[in-house]
Amino acid sequence: MRKLSSLLALVLVLSLVSCAFAEDPFGKYDEPVTVHFVRSTDDTLDANYFSQHPDKTMTDNLWCDLYRDTLNIIVDYDWIVKGGDEYDQKLNIALGVGDIPEFVNVNTLQLKQLAEADLIMPLEDIYEAYASDFTKKILLDTGHSPFDAATVNGHLYGLPNVDSTLMIADLLWVRTDWLEKLGLPIPTTMDEVIATAEAFCKADFDGNGVDDTVGIAIAKDLWGQLFSLRGFFNGFDSYPGIWVEDENGKLVYGSTLPGTRDALQTLNEMYQKGLIDPEFGVKDGGKVAEATTAGKCGLFYGAQWNSIYPLQSCVNLDKDAQWRAVSIVPATDKPLKAQTDVGTLSWTVVRKDVEHPEAVVKMFNVFIDKNWGPNNENGVYYAPLDSESIWKLSPVVPTNPNKNNDAFMALEQYRKDGDESKVTGEAYSILQKLKAFESGSEEGFALWGWERIYGAEGAYGVLIDYQNKGMLQDNLFVGAPTETMTSRMSTLEDLQDEVFTKIILGESGIEAFDKFVEDFNTLGGKDITEEVNEWYESVK
Amino acid sequence: MRKENFVATPRPKKGWSRRELPFHLMLLPAVVLVFIYMYIPLGGLIIAFQKFVPAKGLFGNQKWVGWDNFIYLYHLPGAISALQNTIIIAFWKIILHLIIPITVSILLNEIRSTAFRRTAQTLIYLPHFLSWIIMGGILIDILSPSGGIVNRLLGLFGVEPIFFLGSNDHFRFTLIFTDVWKEFGFNTIVYLAAITNIDPNQYEAATIDGANRFQRMLYVTLPNMRMIIVLMMVLSLGNVLNAGFDQVFNLYSKQVYATGDILDTFIYRIGLIDAQFGVATAMGMFKSVVSTLFISTSYYCAYRFADYRIF
Repeated sequence: MRKLSSLLALVLVLSLVSCAFAEDPFGKYDEPVTVHFVRSTDDTLDANYFSQHPDKTMTDNLWCDLYRDTLNIIVDYDWIVKGGDEYDQKLNIALGVGDIPEFVNVNTLQLKQLAEADLIMPLEDIYEAYASDFTKKILLDTGHSPFDAATVNGHLYGLPNVDSTLMIADLLWVRTDWLEKLGLPIPTTMDEVIATAEAFCKADFDGNGVDDTVGIAIAKDLWGQLFSLRGFFNGFDSYPGIWVEDENGKLVYGSTLPGTRDALQTLNEMYQKGLIDPEFGVKDGGKVAEATTAGKCGLFYGAQWNSIYPLQSCVNLDKDAQWRAVSIVPATDKPLKAQTDVGTLSWTVVRKDVEHPEAVVKMFNVFIDKNWGPNNENGVYYAPLDSESIWKLSPVVPTNPNKNNDAFMALEQYRKDGDESKVTGEAYSILQKLKAFESGSEEGFALWGWERIYGAEGAYGVLIDYQNKGMLQDNLFVGAPTETMTSRMSTLEDLQDEVFTKIILGESGIEAFDKFVEDFNTLGGKDITEEVNEWYESVK
Repeated sequence: MRKENFVATPRPKKGWSRRELPFHLMLLPAVVLVFIYMYIPLGGLIIAFQKFVPAKGLFGNQKWVGWDNFIYLYHLPGAISALQNTIIIAFWKIILHLIIPITVSILLNEIRSTAFRRTAQTLIYLPHFLSWIIMGGILIDILSPSGGIVNRLLGLFGVEPIFFLGSNDHFRFTLIFTDVWKEFGFNTIVYLAAITNIDPNQYEAATIDGANRFQRMLYVTLPNMRMIIVLMMVLSLGNVLNAGFDQVFNLYSKQVYATGDILDTFIYRIGLIDAQFGVATAMGMFKSVVSTLFISTSYYCAYRFADYRIF
């Protein structure tokens, strides 16, 4: 014990010493510093925040106030667009003319281009000097890969807006009230999933006599986090869009695996049986969500948050409706694995001539500290009851990757021992939501979605189960995009989606898949695979 | 019209006459604009031969790749079909955009009731003022196979629902039909104006010679419209590789790429979405070369067969 305390004292002294050398991570500027970002906005912000706070704007809100009051940093935006696609297009054009904002969130492809063009500055020294210890810990919580992906020629060019990898894994959302009505069990194999889909279609629960119920809902964006197909393909030992090891230990692109062929064939068979909406190719997630909430579908693959959007609207319309997220199901006797990916989707880069580049590191510190630090105000700044997704108002959003796991585990513990004192931070605000729901009040019912994620049979339990049982297939390529990947990968992905859509709809036969694999290789896939394996060898 | 207009003025031997100079000056701003926006950007065609990294800038140290981008395009599934689709869709649009407005304008001209004619004219050219963004949204709804009004109407006659925007059998037809429907009214205006200019004496003479209404249409109205028809045709042939980006972009989806993807949407996806600027420029350059061929041919044909010259 004594040893321990002297060790602690040593650590304390050392950290104090290092603090003396490092700059103050939370130091307030004497003069106001204006930082220029660009950003996208989305439906959830409009629906959950701006509609309830009509006097607030992107540059006048809780988060901007916080940055101004604590750091004397004024947040401004050069432009704001709606939707991620629009953002990428506008940013690509801005990059094309070399007119980049001071601070900008980019993906790895864009980051690499900017670094090679010498338009952004290396951040490793600034990061070391200004990042708080807690920030450093959080940003490394998913391993070193978010930093590797942003390292070009040995320099770190972007700060990762880290997020959980586990959250990417697909779940199967099922309408359990329909299962009960039909006396069916929760499906545990692919055959059962198809049988359930057929039964749902036949039952016509909305009772309008029109054949408009779909067995399994998918949207035109095949690999989204809502109405996704990833979980379905995973059942066939196929991992679209990520890099996995083949039997020789080499990395291969998961979409070209033989299992993909079987999955596509099965989907086409389901389409022929009328289990898939023939219009899915023209419907985006929002359109499919409308149909799902209107009771025209009882089965789909998606992420843990789907109960908040869109399923909450479904139960609001039909109080008897009940959904539950369950594990994805196997179609083969190979071990079942759900695919994940690097959860970090954006990196904040800094233009070369910016006077106060460290401002962004300080903003990272404040964001992480306010939401998950020891003295956090998560209930105010992250997702308070009256303004869901308020955290998105911050221009930088590094998320504590394990926060949802931790919260769920804390709530599980609470469910076992009932000791509320140990439930703190985000878990505490979630517990308030769960309690409000259990109270049966009207406002409480609006929190049904939260109960479906963090409740006793919540979606997060399934994800943790994946983790504990080793049922996760990570993306094994997590480096910076390779040379050929930078130019060719997105076109290959487009090609893949087009071919897959056609096969599902029967416009092309299954042999189109073999042609796709061939085309994939001729159009750059072969080079990419070689480059990816080179990288893989280098990190082994 | 005064007679002097038809008398050819003798050409001055040297330099510009004082009368011509102001006209040339008036032309100058247009020439400057064309030079800035049409000729200078031609330099950007160099991107087609580079592995273009946008952030390095147009004059940056880009990697020269020769014909690689063109070879890549050749191997890219969809490039050839985009070209085919463009030609087919544009061809039908050009033909129908000539025939239908001409027919409608002649028929409108024959209507005696001015009130009816004016109303009809206004009603048919109204859709022209709606942008394709709005039209696209409306069409997706009314053409939907599940509950769209068109399919409900067809259903009354026992027709199975048709997925106009999602089936490769119907997509091109839908594109051409909706485009012609949207634009024919507006195009009619030009022809109506041409008809108004026809000397009434010719009709009178034809009537005296015993021509009936139909014969007057055939032998007086149409021949008098010849010049404007040829002009419109030559001008529209320049669009043979423009099948209408706005329209296709708002109506197409992955499942109809096979019949509905055109060069412009293809270039848009490769260039702006996938950020493969070199490949997109290569495709754009290819399109320009083919367009030039078409325009030259059409100009030659117009000169050869209709004795029509722009210059």
